[in-house]
Amino acid sequence: MQKTIYTFLSSVRLTIFLFFAVAATSIFGTIVQQGASPDRYEEMFGGKLLSVLTFFNVFDMYHSWWFTFLLLMLSVNLAACTFRQAPRVIRLAFRKRPVTDDAPFVSSPIRKRFCSRSDREDLERRVSSFLVSLAGAPVRAEKGDASYFFAEKGRFSRFGMTLVHCSVLVILGGGLVGAVWGFSGQMTLVEGGKSDTVTLFSGQGTVNLGFDVACENFTVTYYESGTPREYKTDLAILNNGETVLNDTIRVNHPLTHGGVKFSQATFGVAGGYNFRVDVIDEAANEESTVRMNRMKKHALPGDDLSLAVARFDPDFMGRGPAALGVLIRPGTEHDIFWMPKDLPIRKGSRIFTFRDFDTVYYSGLQVNKDPGVPLVWLGFILIGAGFITHLFFSHVRVWVRIAKVDDGHEISIAAQADRNRDTLENKVNSLVTRFQD
Amino acid sequence: MNDAFLVGIVTFVYFFAAFMYLVAFVFRRTGPAKAAMATAFAGLLLHSSALIVRWIESYRLGIGHAPLSNFYESMVFFSWSIVFVFFVMKKTYRTSLVGVIAMFFAFLILAYVSLSGTVDCRIEPLIPALQSNWLISHVISSFLAYACFTIAFGLSVLYLFKHYAPAGFARALPDSSFLDEATHRIISIGFVLLTVGIITGAAWADRAWGRYWGWDPKETWSLITWLVYGAFLHARIARGWTGMKMSLISITGFISVIFTYLGVNYILAGLHSYL
Repeated sequence: MQKTIYTFLSSVRLTIFLFFAVAATSIFGTIVQQGASPDRYEEMFGGKLLSVLTFFNVFDMYHSWWFTFLLLMLSVNLAACTFRQAPRVIRLAFRKRPVTDDAPFVSSPIRKRFCSRSDREDLERRVSSFLVSLAGAPVRAEKGDASYFFAEKGRFSRFGMTLVHCSVLVILGGGLVGAVWGFSGQMTLVEGGKSDTVTLFSGQGTVNLGFDVACENFTVTYYESGTPREYKTDLAILNNGETVLNDTIRVNHPLTHGGVKFSQATFGVAGGYNFRVDVIDEAANEESTVRMNRMKKHALPGDDLSLAVARFDPDFMGRGPAALGVLIRPGTEHDIFWMPKDLPIRKGSRIFTFRDFDTVYYSGLQVNKDPGVPLVWLGFILIGAGFITHLFFSHVRVWVRIAKVDDGHEISIAAQADRNRDTLENKVNSLVTRFQD
Repeated sequence: MNDAFLVGIVTFVYFFAAFMYLVAFVFRRTGPAKAAMATAFAGLLLHSSALIVRWIESYRLGIGHAPLSNFYESMVFFSWSIVFVFFVMKKTYRTSLVGVIAMFFAFLILAYVSLSGTVDCRIEPLIPALQSNWLISHVISSFLAYACFTIAFGLSVLYLFKHYAPAGFARALPDSSFLDEATHRIISIGFVLLTVGIITGAAWADRAWGRYWGWDPKETWSLITWLVYGAFLHARIARGWTGMKMSLISITGFISVIFTYLGVNYILAGLHSYL
């Protein structure tokens, strides 16, 4: 019984079935929208069909129990199959025959036989160099009055496919690690804002990062056609309010901190503007520049005076942009005044000049933590190595026998290769022609 | 010189090469076969120079990038890949028929982009997601894989033809075993290239979107394609399947390729909205 199960689990028949099963079911997820809101599905299907689809988790099918089961079966099948094949592969790679075995000269797919009148020493020397150019340094042995030579190379190439199959397991393992210990979500940061909370995709709640991510500035440039050329966010990472890292991210250039990767995904206009006001304090003989959002109080140096921008008019009385400033001192009435752009306005000992304004953007970040990534990379590298081994190398074995005959020597050549046999055959042919000359 | 003009010429050169290969195949003469090869090779050189001209032109416009970034450019490169793969693999196939298949598909694709008049051939600047060093390796490996599968598709259709066509016509076609073996060989190469395409795509997705795999329709369909051809190779190598079943899997695989390449972009929605 156990043996039957093992045979079933390690069969290629199962592999082929699982390949087609995963391929066919995967199609659903590309047709039915994944991870949309329940209301939307209610609208699209409704009633009985909806409950069936929900049972099979078709709306998040790649993470459903049955799809996970298929992938698990595929992994088990792959592992069992590789394990079952291993002894055979090892035997083929390391099989040792006595050098004086005559069987290869009968059974090998590539065989040559010819006679030569050259003397024995000369022949042996030429056979050695023939073998060196085909498969490396030969081993020599004698039996009766015949001498035998054997050389092989590329034994490791037998393991190319084993390596490819193991790599797929490594990649799937990396995927599992990511699914268990990683998360995937998003953060939307308005310029000047910060957050330590990631909203997970497909409504699985939130994750607290344990540190703050602040968006200090966002910039976007456009091509003449109006499509975005580049957009980037100046990010700061704050630990307990203290900046520990500053970096700029843009598409294709993410930032990684504490195992969490922040990638630039989207952006948009948050609404409102960001204002820049120059302040000259004649009494204290000080100049400063104040940056602020609308309706945000900004404390001025010196006494307990604050400035805020209450309103913004992009075209104030037909004379261009202006900001409505408010001076706030506790216990007194607010002092409200318009500041047309670049026009200095005196208030007591201070002169305020509204210098500039820009659109406040929000930056959409994709936030991922995936401790399985190194494993996946390792798998990718190994699968590449496996394919290269399989495609460009083969296990080549060559036997040569020099036997005494009446009027000289008979030379028999036998060669085997597990792959690319044509290439080996051509090589043997051309070398034999040269040998005979 | 305008690259679209060059592509227009290449279209006719490929048509002529396909025709010459057909003549060589029907009359089994080496003369037309040599002429066909020379024509096809001239076409490939001209086609390559069209790619280079376009590449240089994009730098002159100040938006320099490899010509692999939109539908037009991908189709032109697809056609180039088919001819390129054909020349690399040519030694394996000692029949003009593979030449007919390769040149016919190369011609068909170019004819659509350069003669239909519906494909926008302007050089466009790269959107931020495409500004990456992964662009070249990902697109090249993917399209070389598609090219292999296209030739395999042609061979498989011929296999079906041979079984269902009238005997006289069928006899003219190469042996079933040749078609079967040739399909297997080119699919093996295509499978490795597709694997490389998916890996480079995953590495790129990890940079651009923060994850190496996200079940985006393009990703999913590339996996479906990989699984179909994976099943093909396992059925063939480990189970020894041959003949009709293999042709049908090969054709299924090619439908999946077309869906991965075009269907996903024109029918489904996803992150991979450029081609």
